[in-house]
Amino acid sequence: MKIAILSSFTLNGLSEILHVKCSELGIGYRSFVAGYNQYAQELINSKSEYYKFSPDVTFLIIDIRNLLGENFFFPYNISDNERKSLISEKINHLENMIMNFEKNLNSKLIIANFNIPSYSPNGVLETKFDFGFHEMIEELNKSLRDISKNHNSVYVYNFNQFISKYGEKNIFDYRQFHVGDIQIALNFLPQFGYDLMSYIKPITGTNRKCIVLDLDNTLWGGIIGEDGFDGIELGHSPNGKAFVDFQKELLSLWNQGIILAINSKNNFDDAMNVIKEHPNMILREKNFASIKINWNDKAENLKQIANEINIGLNSIVFFDDDKLNQERIKHEFPEVLTVELSSDPSYFSAILKDLNDFNVLQRTEDDVKRGEMYAQQRERKEFQKSISNLDDFLEQLDIQVKMKKTSEFLIPRISQLTLKTNQFNLTTKRYQEEEIRNFANNDKFIVGCAQVLDKFGDNGITGVYIINKEDKVWNIDTFLLSCRIMGRGVENGILSQILIDAKNNGIEEIRANFIPTKKNKPAENFLSDFGFEKHDDYWIYKLNNEIKLPKHLKVEIE
Amino acid sequence: MINDVNAIVAKVFSIPESEVNDQSSPENIESWDSFNGLVLVDELETHFKVKFTISEITDVKNVADIKRHLKNHNVS
Repeated sequence: MKIAILSSFTLNGLSEILHVKCSELGIGYRSFVAGYNQYAQELINSKSEYYKFSPDVTFLIIDIRNLLGENFFFPYNISDNERKSLISEKINHLENMIMNFEKNLNSKLIIANFNIPSYSPNGVLETKFDFGFHEMIEELNKSLRDISKNHNSVYVYNFNQFISKYGEKNIFDYRQFHVGDIQIALNFLPQFGYDLMSYIKPITGTNRKCIVLDLDNTLWGGIIGEDGFDGIELGHSPNGKAFVDFQKELLSLWNQGIILAINSKNNFDDAMNVIKEHPNMILREKNFASIKINWNDKAENLKQIANEINIGLNSIVFFDDDKLNQERIKHEFPEVLTVELSSDPSYFSAILKDLNDFNVLQRTEDDVKRGEMYAQQRERKEFQKSISNLDDFLEQLDIQVKMKKTSEFLIPRISQLTLKTNQFNLTTKRYQEEEIRNFANNDKFIVGCAQVLDKFGDNGITGVYIINKEDKVWNIDTFLLSCRIMGRGVENGILSQILIDAKNNGIEEIRANFIPTKKNKPAENFLSDFGFEKHDDYWIYKLNNEIKLPKHLKVEIE
Repeated sequence: MINDVNAIVAKVFSIPESEVNDQSSPENIESWDSFNGLVLVDELETHFKVKFTISEITDVKNVADIKRHLKNHNVS
């Protein structure tokens, strides 16, 4: 991981802090720290040392004092129109640096926004002036936000909120500022570094996807097996309100695609009764992708949860009030993030919100629905258990496959699937959004995807194919299926439809390729089972053969 | 209390405590630059629960000066 720090003031020590935090996560660390106040030169000169270093992520931190100069002290010595043109000049300056960055690097740029001081020389009249001092800085921040919306590689770090969180009087130490031009007090650098890790974690894949929760004294107060349905604290008492609050924060993360699961030692029926029937319960059965309520070892349960959801233990955060359980999991699975819950539930929400582990740098429509989809998956498995024959199960699932040609809206998801699908993937070719866009605009290629629905709900866009067209032959460049829907014959439906499409276009044969990797064994026999024949390095399907559509699913073309 | 100063100086500049004495200064401790000097101020303030003025900070030439200023803040 190569990290660059460009700043307008002394930030000694920050790089060392990031180095330690990266090492703790097993991330290799190299850094480039620009000379004092050299950020503009480094960004504008395409031959600069900074560009030679070619960082994966750049933090650009400019203080409002440096940006405004004398105008920081005397904003009212100039007219409101002059203040407006001053700010638009500064925005141009920032945009110019961003454009240079994008020209020279294909990585992420994180720009800190600007602190709005609590003070104004205008005192209580501050809000009455046209384009006043505070409004100037708000305008800068708004412009930065707009820039980040229009530039995929640019993110805004809310430095102004960092100051609100810890307090202007703590962060800005006048002595450190006057002695060493230090604008973030030394004892707050660790907190600042922690915030910046919010960007490094998703880039390095060390962010987390799933929260595993205990029940007694974690989601409600008391012990259901002893205190009973009416005896647990949930809702009205001060403790009860804290648990409701905590559940609301969890639900709000679930709404953003974080997966929830339960790992609790209890009688299943007692605990499920609360989850289903308690009037003040916020999280319900449908919010949980896996529910382990039993008397088994918690570590064993946790492992099963990871297997069931099909995620790594290093994607899991574990919440349990019991110190002994915390120790058990920490010892057995150090890769799980075991949270040290305080014994006072009032702090649970704050502890959850302080975690910077759930960040992503891009969120697709499908990510948001993830929590829901995993919970539907659990219902499917339970349904499957109740039906012994696999064909009957598939028949009763009412699977619908909607085939879609790519569109600007679908490109991020298509790229994401090529980047992270390992198991059912014929060629495991990884494509960035820009590459998918190029294929989509090239009439020699077909880029398509499939949305899969069934009686339990929408699985989202879970299949992708890319075809390279020649006169008489179509070559399958990419064919993949998300692990979410493996084992339901969907791949046969998609491929059959591609074949029918080819035949209708006068194509004589389809060529495909299987490139083995450590992980794509599930796709190994797909082509031969379907009826492809091996010729040298390729698998070939002659289109004068009959094309069968699987009976248990409906395929639609959109 | 005031004897803790040597240990703090040693920790901040990453040197053995045995090498720290009243005459220790930026002249004879290589890692004592202006930035680490501020880190030292921060550590001393946290440890002794005092706040130095800016002229006290800039006046310090060696460890003896630190102890003299701490005494002015009633650290004994």
